[in-house]
Amino acid sequence: MRSQPGRLGIERQHHLQGSAIDRDRPLQFRLDGRIVSGFAGDTVLSAALASGIDAAGRRDGVALALSARHAPAITFAALAGDHQRALPMERTLATNGADYLTTAQKVGGNLVARLLRRGGRSLDIDLDRSDALARPWLGTPAAAGPEADLVVVGGGVAGLSAALAGARRGLRVVLAEATPLLGGKARLFGTQDGEETPDAAIARLTAAVAKTDAITVLTSAEAFALRPGVVRLHQVEMPDGTPTGRVIDIHAPHIVLATGALERLPLFPGNRLPGVIGALDAFELAQLYGLWPGSSALVATGSSPAYRLAMLLTDAGITVPRIIDSRPHPQSRFIEFSKAYGITLAAGTIVASATPARRGNGVVAMPKLSMEGFSRTEPALPVDRLVVCGGWQPDLTLWHMAGGESAWNAGGMRLEGRGGPEGTVLAGSAAGWVSRSACLASGGDAVDVLLGRHRRLVEDRLIDPIYETPDAPASVGDEPDEAAQPVFLDGGWRHIQRPRRVVSRWPAWLPFAPKPPGWSLADTPQPLDIADIAAGVQLGAIPATSAGIVAQERVAMVVIESDQPDETAHPAGPLPLPPPWLAARYAGATLWLAVPDDARTLDAGALIHTNADETDPLKAIGVIVRIVNGTAVALVDGSAGQSASVREPGRAVGIRLVEPYRA
Amino acid sequence: MSETRADFVIIGSTPLARLVAGLLASVHGKSVVFSGESQSGYRLPRAIDLSVAPITRPETWGLLKAGLPEALKLLSRIGGRGAWSRVDPIFFSEAAAGKEALAHIRHMALAFGHAAELVPASAIGPGRSGLLLRDAVLLHRPTLEAGLDRWLDQHGVRRCGESETLTVRSSGSAELVSGADRIEIEQAVLADDAAVIDHVPGPLWPALLTRHVTSTIFTEPTRPIAATVMHRLDTGLTLVQQPGRGIAAIGPGAIDPFAAALGTLLGREREFRQAGQSSYEALVTVDAAPAVGRLRGSGPDILAGLGPSGAFLAPAIARWLCGKADPAENAWLGARLVDRRAAPSAVAEYGCAA
Repeated sequence: MRSQPGRLGIERQHHLQGSAIDRDRPLQFRLDGRIVSGFAGDTVLSAALASGIDAAGRRDGVALALSARHAPAITFAALAGDHQRALPMERTLATNGADYLTTAQKVGGNLVARLLRRGGRSLDIDLDRSDALARPWLGTPAAAGPEADLVVVGGGVAGLSAALAGARRGLRVVLAEATPLLGGKARLFGTQDGEETPDAAIARLTAAVAKTDAITVLTSAEAFALRPGVVRLHQVEMPDGTPTGRVIDIHAPHIVLATGALERLPLFPGNRLPGVIGALDAFELAQLYGLWPGSSALVATGSSPAYRLAMLLTDAGITVPRIIDSRPHPQSRFIEFSKAYGITLAAGTIVASATPARRGNGVVAMPKLSMEGFSRTEPALPVDRLVVCGGWQPDLTLWHMAGGESAWNAGGMRLEGRGGPEGTVLAGSAAGWVSRSACLASGGDAVDVLLGRHRRLVEDRLIDPIYETPDAPASVGDEPDEAAQPVFLDGGWRHIQRPRRVVSRWPAWLPFAPKPPGWSLADTPQPLDIADIAAGVQLGAIPATSAGIVAQERVAMVVIESDQPDETAHPAGPLPLPPPWLAARYAGATLWLAVPDDARTLDAGALIHTNADETDPLKAIGVIVRIVNGTAVALVDGSAGQSASVREPGRAVGIRLVEPYRA
Repeated sequence: MSETRADFVIIGSTPLARLVAGLLASVHGKSVVFSGESQSGYRLPRAIDLSVAPITRPETWGLLKAGLPEALKLLSRIGGRGAWSRVDPIFFSEAAAGKEALAHIRHMALAFGHAAELVPASAIGPGRSGLLLRDAVLLHRPTLEAGLDRWLDQHGVRRCGESETLTVRSSGSAELVSGADRIEIEQAVLADDAAVIDHVPGPLWPALLTRHVTSTIFTEPTRPIAATVMHRLDTGLTLVQQPGRGIAAIGPGAIDPFAAALGTLLGREREFRQAGQSSYEALVTVDAAPAVGRLRGSGPDILAGLGPSGAFLAPAIARWLCGKADPAENAWLGARLVDRRAAPSAVAEYGCAA
């Protein structure tokens, strides 16, 4: 496994061996010229991560982690330059012998610097460029997709349940899942008493979907635009075993959005360094692809499922020196199990900041006890990996694109969907449901809502807060100063940062003292992802009452051709003479043909004065309205043979009114 | 229940609304209530504030020229150096009618001492006529708004809270109820489009005002456009390129058709991705001229159709609301009453529907 240092070993029994990969079928491909090793079932991204590439590139000189939400597009080397055929690393299955290039611009530097970087841990993308991680297919014209009565976006348990419910109601269903596999995120959250396991539930639902002819499943198909009645998505297909992208529009009167929830990023300096990863991302990469670089991990969370990941890691031989929890008195069944594993727990503690380790690829976390008004910095913790969890935000991105509304829930510290457009409904954790049973039920309920049927009861079976402490909001660490690592509001490719504190040796009241920079998200020339909005509310940049409308305004919308009339079209027709904006300008004025005293063409629009000495525009007596067949038409109160003066730039031109103008 | 009285309630979120409220309180000694959100820091703009506009009427140029020094002094004092900047906007047109108006606007600007230059087609595209006006003042709303809010507080302007209920009556008076307290307000001023739409009931709606679906699209950084501010006369589309090279485009139509039109305008060399978008209703007057004054002579005051230069007219408007305007201001505002006849209009501007 030397070629895949990020892959977990399988010498011992554990649950993170990689359910999606076949370790008996190794493969190799090239990425930007370097050899990447993986297994059948890997995506290009998971193979790159397994091969030790864990940084996407640099922004403001700081390396940022490579992840499913922060990866460049790739293209076959033979198609370099044809960005319309670019593919997403995270949705493209790795194939043996392929030769890929990333489409983004690389970090510059001299030859020596470039040679030194070669073969390192980074893809060396220049993340200072605004289009560094842009998705070229967003502007690709769409082909017609399969016909459908119902489109379900999201292939987790809620989406699977909705697709089956739709098929049972006689609808032709298209189920679109962004990742290569159905099943969603339910596995991290474990099982409550009396429930089937997540694996069993997913297997049961996917088998039922596979057996239902009325359901067309599109995997590796990411919906990126939505309007009522139409979903636009980009899918990576594998015709003849070669990954190929296509953009399609699926028109359907009914749409269920089961897009799940995004994991919030705690807000501390260094929160996107290579080696820092969200608990859900980390779990998925480990569970599906057996990925885990390094041998130690610090877990920092405000949500109980991260404890489950810590235990699975311990089973897999990873050392978890501590779990730090921002909640002052957390209670959970997972916590009790973790204690039994012998993992040290630190309640009321957050990560104040993180920095790259001086040696190796790890990070150094600075924990801070922060509880009930008391704050104390704890000793630094060097680890190979820092796993963070800042709670969950329903993914309402497509909902907002469709015109759906949302509102801030102060209790849950998250945006939740409210009224939506006709024919589009939310289901599962996108609709705010927490438990798996509720997510399952909400899928069927969403279809009933769309069809106007009697609704079924959906209930979140939550454990009493005495035994299962609710999630804390994403923790907020140190405010970054000019020397600190940047603080990003979210882990996606928008790179919205918390402003840095300006340290000044001058008192603020002095006129030349540097003023704190204003933080205007209105001027930020990137869309704001929904987790950016949630962080903006937490940091006070967006009032909670406006969070929903801001999220709707700043979603990354893509134009879908519409039948709506183009109100920008300007009616054509004969020009009125005089134009309406000259109405009543000059009392008694009529249209006259005017000729200059010199042989020249008069300037249309110029003001006419009684004589050359008069320059006050408020005392003008008329205007040259138009030049018709080489002769000036003036709007002026005058008489045949009358002389006047036209004021042109820098001089006055004498004119004479010849005769009334007749069209 | 305690009951107090106030002279004015100003409803609106624009710099014009804030300036009028603050001037009524600070200069004219009125008791003022202000109802408007402070949202420029995080919401997309629905309009811009520019000291010049595609104006054809000399009296409007005259009023703006006379009032600009006073407005700038006030804005600098309130918002500091970052509240405004100098720009050279370009007004352009593709339609013959717009080109004709543009030619006259050029002469009007020059006559009032404004540096105005023709823009070559190479800068704005073939088939277009363009006019560049030098040294115009562009307000930076996010910065200015924070200063204006502090200024309102300093001068005792009472701000409406979210939990309070404001009712505007057709008589022009208003009532603010806050828990057990009640404020009786003598005169309401509807100072932006949203305020007019929210508070003027259908039966009282003035014939002069029409509601149009309008959109704002904010783009990710794209190549520089010919000027920081560009305005297309034919459609009313305005482009503002921010320092980060994102463009805020404001214009007529729903989001998707407007985005398509914007794509056509910016061309292939400036392909853009949307960083934000919103759609809303904006007011347009039938004769494209401002509409001010009391609805039906005795109702709430309307401030609409003032275009990008409304904020620079705030001192004159505040004086007029208090009956202290000078003769030129009285004449200008008096000619633009909201209940005037729109056809024929003695104050029509380019874009009038007649």
